[in-house]
Order: sequence, then C-alpha cells, then structure tokens
Amino acid sequence: MPPGAKTRSFASLAEGEIARRSFTVREDEMASFAEVSGDHNPLHCDEAFARSRGYPGRVVYGALLVAKISQLIGMELPGRNALWSGLDIQFVSPLFIGQKADIEATIVRVSAAVHALELSLRIACQGQPIARGKAMVTVGRDD
Amino acid sequence: MDNTVILEQLTGIFREVFDDDNLVVTPELSAKDVPDWDSVNHIRLVVSIETEFKLRFTVEEIEKLQNVGDLVKLLQPKAGGGQS
Repeated sequence: MPPGAKTRSFASLAEGEIARRSFTVREDEMASFAEVSGDHNPLHCDEAFARSRGYPGRVVYGALLVAKISQLIGMELPGRNALWSGLDIQFVSPLFIGQKADIEATIVRVSAAVHALELSLRIACQGQPIARGKAMVTVGRDD
Repeated sequence: MDNTVILEQLTGIFREVFDDDNLVVTPELSAKDVPDWDSVNHIRLVVSIETEFKLRFTVEEIEKLQNVGDLVKLLQPKAGGGQS
C-alpha cells in the first residue's frame, strides 16, 4: 500500500519552504500514461521516430512531469489538505526515459485571506532545467 | 496612494487574471458583472493584489467586500498616501 499523504496545517506553511523529490521515469510509466491519456504520439512511443527527429530516445510526456508535480503537491506540500487550483508551466528541455530528474517546489506566497499558496516549480536533470512554472494551491481546513 | 492610481493598478491585475484586455474596472464592478469571476479566479485575484500592492489581507477584510469600490477603500490606507 502506498504511503499516506502528509497532513500540514495552513499555519505551519511558510514562504521559502522547499519540498524536493527525485524521480526516474520508467518504461512502464510511459506505457501506463499512453494508455490513460490516449496519447500515442510517436515522439513518446516510437524509439526510431524519436531518433529520426534528432532525440537520443523517446521523450517523456510533459503531462507525466505534471503528474510528478501532482505527487509533490498532493502528498507532501501541502499534502492531504491540498486543493490544486492552477498551473502555469513551460517545458524547456526534453527528459528521456531512465534519466534521473529532480523536482522542487518552493512556497513563494502564503495568502491567509484565501488560504492559498503560490508555489514556484522547477524540474531539472543534472542541473539543466527541464520544466519550470507556478502552481496555485488552496489549503483546506484541518479536520 | 491616489484612488485613481489604485484603480489603474487594479485594472491591470483584473485584466491579467480574467484574461480580458477590454475589461473596464469601475468602483461599481462586482463578481456578478464578470462571468469568469468564480472561486478559483477570486483566489488568483486576491493573491495577485496582495503581491502587486505588497500587502496582506485578512479573511474578514476579503469577506466584507461587495465591489471594487470597497476594495479601493480597503487598499487606500494600506497602500499609503492621502485621499484624493
């Protein structure tokens, strides 16, 4: 059974706090994402096609990177009380299957008036930016 | 800060949040006048105003607001400067 989401109270969240995780996208995750999304674009599914376009291999789905952001927000920062309400993201470089990537979310704004966080997001591979963006997350009341 | 200047600054923020370059922001404007003024955009709006004006609102202050005019009155002393 997967681990449970962290429970963070709104009061415990402060600007400047950073959450980090590392991940490596596997073949089976690519296959599962193709199945779930229905996106069988050959850039993501066909090794020869990806190479013909100048890439060393199949490119990881951008939305799969978003799934990793979802994991960080939903499980860790702020975790159980999160209600994700907005995302602005740019994919700046491709990530390839089997490459280790690092994801980082920084709280850049805490608004007590609307119980919301603004997160700055960064995904990098060996220090090179893969994606960057911002997310808005509402934090629900504690039970 | 001059109320006209506040309204001008708010106009830029409203247009950005609601993605409408033609939105006319008047003191009488309220959520019922803007079709996209839903709960998510309300949060974006409040956070954007806090960021732009470099201030913090309380829950009570936000809940009392009826229209943009109320918002300008709330911002006026927080943003500094005299009435005009």
